[in-house]
Amino acid sequence: MPRRIRIAIVSFAAWVWVTGVAQGQSGYVPGVTFQKDNPNYPPRNPFYFEGRVDWNLLKIDQPSNAWEFEQRGMHKQDDLEDNAGAIADYRQAIAMNNLDNGTCQLVTTAAQANSGAQLTPPPCMFTVRLRLAVLLSGAESDQAIALYNQVLAIDPLRLGVHASIAEVYVHEAETALNAGDIPGLYAQAIGEFKAELALSPVTALQVQLTGDEANNAHVHWALAEIYEKLSQPADEMRELDLYLKATKYHSDTYPWRIRLAQKKMEKAQAVEEAAKPAQDNN
Amino acid sequence: MYRLVRFGILFLFALAVPTLVGQTPVGNPTESPFKDQDYQRPEKCLPCHQRQYDELRSSVKSGYRNVSPLFNALEVAGNLLNGGLLRPVYSDSVKTTTAADGSIIPLNTNLFTTPAFVNVNQVRAGFCIGCHNGPFLRRADDPTKREVPELAGVGANFLPEQFRPLRDYHLVDVTGKQVIPPEPGGDPPPGSLPSLGAAGVTCDVCHNLAGADLTRSLLADGFANNTLAFNHTIEKVGPFAFPVAVKGNFHVSSNDQSKIALLRSGAFCNSCHDVRVPLAAPGDFQRLERDINPGGQNVLYYRLENLSTEWQIGAYNSTTNPFGKVVRCQDCHMSTFPYAGNSSYQVGDLKITSPTPGIFAENFAAVPGVATDENFPLQKRKVVSHYFTGIDVPLLSTDELKARLGSDYPDAYQPGVDEYGAPKALASRREDLLRAAARISLDNTDKTAKLGETFTVRAECVSLTGHRFPAGFSQERSAYIQLSVTDDSGFLLYQSGYVVDKPHPETGELAPDGNLDDEELEHLHAVVDPGRHTVPYATGQATNGHTNQVFEAGPDDGPEERLFFGRSEGLVLFRNEITRIYLPGQGVGRSDANANPIIATKPHYEETFSAGFANTVDNFRSLQPLVPRTFRYDIKLPTKQQLAEMGIDSIKAPLHVHAQINFEHFPPLFLRFLARTTGPDGPTGHDLKLVSEKRIDDLLKNVRSITSADFTVNIQE
Repeated sequence: MPRRIRIAIVSFAAWVWVTGVAQGQSGYVPGVTFQKDNPNYPPRNPFYFEGRVDWNLLKIDQPSNAWEFEQRGMHKQDDLEDNAGAIADYRQAIAMNNLDNGTCQLVTTAAQANSGAQLTPPPCMFTVRLRLAVLLSGAESDQAIALYNQVLAIDPLRLGVHASIAEVYVHEAETALNAGDIPGLYAQAIGEFKAELALSPVTALQVQLTGDEANNAHVHWALAEIYEKLSQPADEMRELDLYLKATKYHSDTYPWRIRLAQKKMEKAQAVEEAAKPAQDNN
Repeated sequence: MYRLVRFGILFLFALAVPTLVGQTPVGNPTESPFKDQDYQRPEKCLPCHQRQYDELRSSVKSGYRNVSPLFNALEVAGNLLNGGLLRPVYSDSVKTTTAADGSIIPLNTNLFTTPAFVNVNQVRAGFCIGCHNGPFLRRADDPTKREVPELAGVGANFLPEQFRPLRDYHLVDVTGKQVIPPEPGGDPPPGSLPSLGAAGVTCDVCHNLAGADLTRSLLADGFANNTLAFNHTIEKVGPFAFPVAVKGNFHVSSNDQSKIALLRSGAFCNSCHDVRVPLAAPGDFQRLERDINPGGQNVLYYRLENLSTEWQIGAYNSTTNPFGKVVRCQDCHMSTFPYAGNSSYQVGDLKITSPTPGIFAENFAAVPGVATDENFPLQKRKVVSHYFTGIDVPLLSTDELKARLGSDYPDAYQPGVDEYGAPKALASRREDLLRAAARISLDNTDKTAKLGETFTVRAECVSLTGHRFPAGFSQERSAYIQLSVTDDSGFLLYQSGYVVDKPHPETGELAPDGNLDDEELEHLHAVVDPGRHTVPYATGQATNGHTNQVFEAGPDDGPEERLFFGRSEGLVLFRNEITRIYLPGQGVGRSDANANPIIATKPHYEETFSAGFANTVDNFRSLQPLVPRTFRYDIKLPTKQQLAEMGIDSIKAPLHVHAQINFEHFPPLFLRFLARTTGPDGPTGHDLKLVSEKRIDDLLKNVRSITSADFTVNIQE
């Protein structure tokens, strides 16, 4: 046998043996051997994951804790348009994560979160309360407001909660059977909208950094609508002016409101101008 | 007799084939038996591998990334916050760190050279450069080969005024001696050339592969943070089972089948394309994850980039996808994709036509007549592209690129096509790749609407990518739905995902400039505190910024409304989110209307735009691959009275709904933060010349309408 062929055979046999050994060393399959716990399931530490995991990725047959009920509720609400099913799951989640029955707690010190140990009971969750509150805001407004207030107890700085409470009061005012209740409901709505504005005030630094003279266009629009209903034109015009300032560089999802606000202000100014000669004559 | 021998060879070959096909990558490999070879400049590979060299040169991972103003600014920003802890230490370091039990331990190994982590600062040391220039960290243990020096002082001893961007160190003169700009962040000195480190992920980085490094990967799985082991020898690993001998033994083409199998697999890419950011205890505030290797229990982290995990457990890493076979990273990013024809298939109720992955060109793997010993004839084989096209284009002009990376550096916008018909321009390939990434449908939208009432638009989206979309640094990479509803005369009734031209006084743009690529989406108005120069330096956000000076909901606030409130309104934003959870007693970095600092009294969640300041992450806001998701928009039409007040009789039927998915290069507000924190008013006290308003205006390039859909809605009287 020629030498070259013998060398080739020996080399090949050696190679086969080496690769076989290499295989034998390896029980390792990337992503399977070690990352076998579902990487899409976030274990609590110290807070629950306050987001939404695609339900199919969680691989849960039946929810077994507050967080899992919340996640299934989100799936029902967002993916299946099953609001009734979502409400049931959110209620179950809150029953299992509740200050009243001692199954959750408010975190009031940094040390609680930094202790390195899981909090017992766990922190109260806010996402599930917000979502349930929104779904209940039409039919069960008291419950909705209570849930929003629970969220403010969990995180008083969270944006949008005061505005959401205000919207519930506006809805209550619009559907009130007793006309005498309406001013009070609107007053509460105004208070909540103002609390929302106070969370992100327009400061001198903000004007310097952004050029914005007002922000939170939707709150100013909502306030203007309330003042219109309360026949408080000066307040309405002030809010419309702030709305226009807030939309100057940011427009609006409903851009026709900008045109409407301008028309309303032009009309109000025309009325004011028309009133001036009369006043002068007097 | 010869026949018997031939049969024997064939038999052995047949025996070997299944071992080749069935290979799984091996962890913690032993040393290569071949002779040592230092890292080579890519130019050394050029004579035999011209095509691969040319392709790789245009990829952002090779060269550009290491001189990228954004990469450099991010690394600088992190260091300014923590006092230089992200800079590498080496074997001759005398630095120490405090272990969890209070003992003092040496800190003389970094992300790449630590055999097994026991302390979070070992992961921090060289954290960014550890992936983008990993093997050079090991090389730099030899002080004569070190490009990036160890900082003299870190933590409270950090000297921000002397701090330089990494790219300052990636320059040499004609003799190969390192040259450094006179001022931190200064322009390359005249006549300077790119150093070896400037080349970033070079040929050697991949082809020196030895195996997965399980003990250095936090979940002992070979994922994330450059957890590969490398040969530093003449053994070069290619994709072919039976490589041909190399001329002059410049290198040996590896015949180690486990290495070849790893190079060809998605697992190879997994070692870098998950990024896990080290965090002090308690780690990610919403997710308990720690190093599971012995001794690593005090090394906690959050998942900044989760791309590899997404692919690993997704449909493309299985046969249950439209193509009926595993589609690897290489099948889209190293193939002729998206230029090799289309496939049609069904995903849920969506009928999709999209480019086919996994089709490779036929070509020579090396230059015939040049590359092989005794000019052994080469055959054409299926070869990979080394473009590694992704979703990035440089934030440097071509002149700037040439100044830092050599006069032959390619223009990302060059005309023409290559020999396979693919655009030579990186920007065009990026755009085409993005257009293959997602689809949208409006078919389930309400068919009628009424004035003064709400109707619902349903935008069904599906990602066709192997990972979630967008992926990578997915807390800043953004895709979103731009949606409009107009009446038949063009009157705009609703818009989402829009941008408005506006001034940006914080970075010197005092009036709208006519450019929309530099505008932020309107879900959020935020300005990030850049910090300020202080003497003495102190770590943390009090003087180094990273908190939000301005943070308020915008008119198109979809992300928060949809996720936390469950409302069907506002922007649909496929952008993952890094978040800072402020704890009770911590200031959020801005003041109330009475100029009093706002202090959290309870845990307060707020989006942050600094990876170094985040303590938790949401990686589920991006779009899951091959699982359609419907996003609803409850849209209220104006009343007749409101129309009348505007002087409009009525809206003209039908309504036209248009939706498109846009890709945003980077959020402008994030770039403006980097501009300010690395600028003259930031903690260094001088301009590091990385990011500026002009750079944002000139080079931020979004890709609009990667896919779109239209729907008509009737108006019911």
